Amino acid sequence: MTALVEIDDLAVSFGARPAIEGLTLAIEKGERFGIIGESGSGKSLTALAIAGLLPETARMSGRIRFDGAPLPQDEREMARLRGKRIGMVFQEPMTALNPLMRVGEQIEEAMRLADEAAAPLADLPALLQEVGLEPRHAGRYPHQLSGGQRQRVMIAMALASRPELMIADEPTSALDVITQRLVLDLIGEICQRRRMTLLFISHDIRAVAALCERVAVLHRGTLVELGPVHTVLTRPNQAYTQKLVAATQVTPRQRVAAPKPEPLLTVTHLTRAFKGRGLLHWGEKPLLAVNDVSLSIGVGECLALVGPSGCGKTTLGRMIVGLDSASAGEMDFAGTPYRGADLPAARRADLSLVFQDPFGSFNPRLTVAQSLGEPLRLLPRLAPLERQTRLEEAITSVGLETAMLARYPHEFSGGQRQRLAIARAMVTRPRLVVLDEPVSALDVSVRGDVLDLLARLQADHALTYLIVSHDLDMVAAMADRVLVMEAGRIVEEGTPTALFARPRHRLTQELMAARLPDIVG
Amino acid sequence: MNWRRLLDHPSLALGLAATLAFALLGLASLIWTPYPIADIAISRRFLVPDASHLLGTDHLGRDMLSLIMAGTLTSFTVGAAAVAIGVGIGVPMGLVAAMWGGPVDWVAMRISDLAFAFPSVIIAILIATLIGPGATNAIIAIGIFNIPVFARVARGGALALSSLDFIGAARLAGLGKAAIAWRHILPNIMSLIIVQGTIQLSLGILAEAGLSYIGLGTQPPATSLGLMLRDAQSLFLIHPSLSLLPGLAIVLIVVALNIAGDGLRDALDPRLRRQELA
Repeated sequence: MTALVEIDDLAVSFGARPAIEGLTLAIEKGERFGIIGESGSGKSLTALAIAGLLPETARMSGRIRFDGAPLPQDEREMARLRGKRIGMVFQEPMTALNPLMRVGEQIEEAMRLADEAAAPLADLPALLQEVGLEPRHAGRYPHQLSGGQRQRVMIAMALASRPELMIADEPTSALDVITQRLVLDLIGEICQRRRMTLLFISHDIRAVAALCERVAVLHRGTLVELGPVHTVLTRPNQAYTQKLVAATQVTPRQRVAAPKPEPLLTVTHLTRAFKGRGLLHWGEKPLLAVNDVSLSIGVGECLALVGPSGCGKTTLGRMIVGLDSASAGEMDFAGTPYRGADLPAARRADLSLVFQDPFGSFNPRLTVAQSLGEPLRLLPRLAPLERQTRLEEAITSVGLETAMLARYPHEFSGGQRQRLAIARAMVTRPRLVVLDEPVSALDVSVRGDVLDLLARLQADHALTYLIVSHDLDMVAAMADRVLVMEAGRIVEEGTPTALFARPRHRLTQELMAARLPDIVG
Repeated sequence: MNWRRLLDHPSLALGLAATLAFALLGLASLIWTPYPIADIAISRRFLVPDASHLLGTDHLGRDMLSLIMAGTLTSFTVGAAAVAIGVGIGVPMGLVAAMWGGPVDWVAMRISDLAFAFPSVIIAILIATLIGPGATNAIIAIGIFNIPVFARVARGGALALSSLDFIGAARLAGLGKAAIAWRHILPNIMSLIIVQGTIQLSLGILAEAGLSYIGLGTQPPATSLGLMLRDAQSLFLIHPSLSLLPGLAIVLIVVALNIAGDGLRDALDPRLRRQELA
């Protein structure tokens, strides 16, 4: 076998800041090659360098050879190479597709650009069929397709030129578990059938393990480990790889106190309807994001709400904390009945929410102390001195230092920001904390730490948690009880061990089947 | 924004420096001009530039340099006051529209459509008929024209921000809508407003020149660049420099402001900045 892509001593830097240093690797023809790394490890930049798409501010040195020849310096030549021999699939298909063009036309355009009276190319229906779409989908616009369908369109566009190399950069991170599995299987299948070389970039070790033959582990722009997937992931040589692999195995938390049976929050027949605005939607049936849901959470319990994206689990969480109001039904929190936003101010301090995205949940113009102190206005009788101790207590309880209170959010990493978000949720000493995908936006290696922190805080302060997530492994490790939600309704309920061992509902079974296999040594 | 970042954008530095130079030239006229601008001496009219009159004199024997200094000050004052009116009324209006939404949003946006529908010249004619022409009227007319522009910028910026989680966190913390707008939204849309402000300042200076030219703005004995153009237009073929000098001043000020505005947009827009990191 000969190498299709050879990277020799590649270095990429922005100004004085190196992003990749001394990277040397080769991707064989027909091989499925994976690159694993956390955010900022330079994995995406490596892909961009191969495709000649580095941002203009980047400086590159070293050599990249494609099929034995160095990458052309001329932009036209490079564009031709990209158009004909390299196909790319990006992370977010909604932004990678033109919103004003039917997807069929976009695929045809990719075919036209590749074809210069060379070999007659596959026709559109055949290509659609290959990626698992129906011919009628060609006439739709990107917003009329689901996330998984859009990613299939992207794959069809990448395949239009019959490329020798397909670069897939986190193609499934924006998709939910079930669709993720389907798209991964599709990519693997196509590569096998077309004997195409794949460069698959991901932070998800299990996705790489399921799809690739060889893998490179990147850390802070340098190559840590390189070799066959099985060897690298089951017998990692380097400490960093070991840490990364260990982090994918979520260990179950030890519960200290059993939850008490009396309910802290009860939700009865809760419904949230969204109506289309304007005359066009006058007669339409409202969309029921949450449809007649009843549940109760006991004091000290950790309840998890799982389901695919769009099933209404986040809407339910937002109503519980009072960010949104129910259309029908009622909730009762420790004796106070409410419907959502009408939650009395005196009660708000007992409820808090940790947001999913640690980058969007802090105002960039406020210091950490200002942001953390904001919920304290719910406790108007707090003396200034007490305020300060509360802040210090909150930030030390999440494992950060009090000196960090004076800093601004951009000075923190994703994991640290999520700790700060947790600190903000804890500052009023709440009784119930709603955690909306608390770790899904974080790098694998810090997820475990954040989950440990959450478990410790729960034990220390006798907290009650409602976890909203699609990550079954995390839920299995954290939760006492699991509710499965589909299309606004709760379809199954049980303890994680019982539920995941014998799923009864179709959706639960699908979720379980979509789990990527564990890495076993 | 620190000074080192300013030097990373040469066009911004150039634009700001030129704008500042003109503003200082105008401000200097408050304290000192080579000759008083109301000083009419027919015997000295149409002088060519020399040591005593650096830019020559006009048809009434007034010193051109003094007139341009005073005219620049008028232009900047009118433009800046109009921007202040636009920001002062438009930004709160846009924020209220975005935060309260629904019927409030509808009413605010229809008011701004109404203001959009009348060009500033029409408003100026209306005001001039009601209370007579003058620099104050030009300020009001251009200011009204600025209100919907800033309202739209503030509303758009606020709507883009309001879906972010930190706004949700602030609502959970019990902040009211006005407090969220003041504490969380306004600081984050400030860069948008500053950039729009420089653009509206240059448009305001142009509009003031236009209004003075048709006689609805500044009235003699005060002067403005537009008024100087109007005075010189009938003499253009005989004494072209009388119209070229104020015209050139307007062009330079507007170009400097536009360059500064574009530079500020590049320097402040986080989307463009993030590309470097990607």
